[in-house]
Amino acid sequence: MIYITEKPLDLPGILAESHHPAAGAVVLFSGEVRDNNVGKKVDYIEYESYVPMASKMIDQILNDARERWNLHIAVAQHRIGKVKVSESAVLVITASAHRSEAYASNRYIIDRIKHEVPIWKCEYFEDGTGVWGGNCNCHTETGDLNKHIYESENG
Amino acid sequence: MKIEVFAALKNYFSKEFEIADQLETVADLRQHLKNINPSSSQLINMCRFVVREDLVTDTHRLLDHDHVVVLPPSSGG
Repeated sequence: MIYITEKPLDLPGILAESHHPAAGAVVLFSGEVRDNNVGKKVDYIEYESYVPMASKMIDQILNDARERWNLHIAVAQHRIGKVKVSESAVLVITASAHRSEAYASNRYIIDRIKHEVPIWKCEYFEDGTGVWGGNCNCHTETGDLNKHIYESENG
Repeated sequence: MKIEVFAALKNYFSKEFEIADQLETVADLRQHLKNINPSSSQLINMCRFVVREDLVTDTHRLLDHDHVVVLPPSSGG
């Protein structure tokens, strides 16, 4: 599986390969570029990654999720480079016997990708300015750069 | 040693550069980067460091020929 790619994410193609006879539930999450942030019109987002490490970490996160929820399918892919409004920047698919595991594991995977994996976004606004942003700042609460607070565990 | 930075760190440093000074630990390197560019201090304090594709802590001992990658906080998704 390619975890980081410069190509547009093939959502229908990857979903088509994410069915399993023992899975009664398949959840697909697509993180897409919004046309606004902090009151400004977003033109596009440019993503950058430290690819060898990001790939290794996503592989480990998927393995953790498979083990914890006994998943039949766990897939994730993140796009880098320029991603336009309404295009998918990140895809997570989980398949399990029942829906609760598919939903919970899907949130767990996307949370960990957003907080831990070395991928960064630079938002470009319609006025031509660009800002690196959306940084994980969990350490201000946890006091440790490697300890995070995940939505999936808190709500 | 060779230093490689990503994302917002490129606003403060070249993408890749060499440091000739003898630095013993990651903590020393963190301080050295802040000395090179004091305006980067807040961001440097939040960065993780990688040697040979492994995250390392501030007490990790550095070698002269190490290639150290500096990662700002993640912002993917």
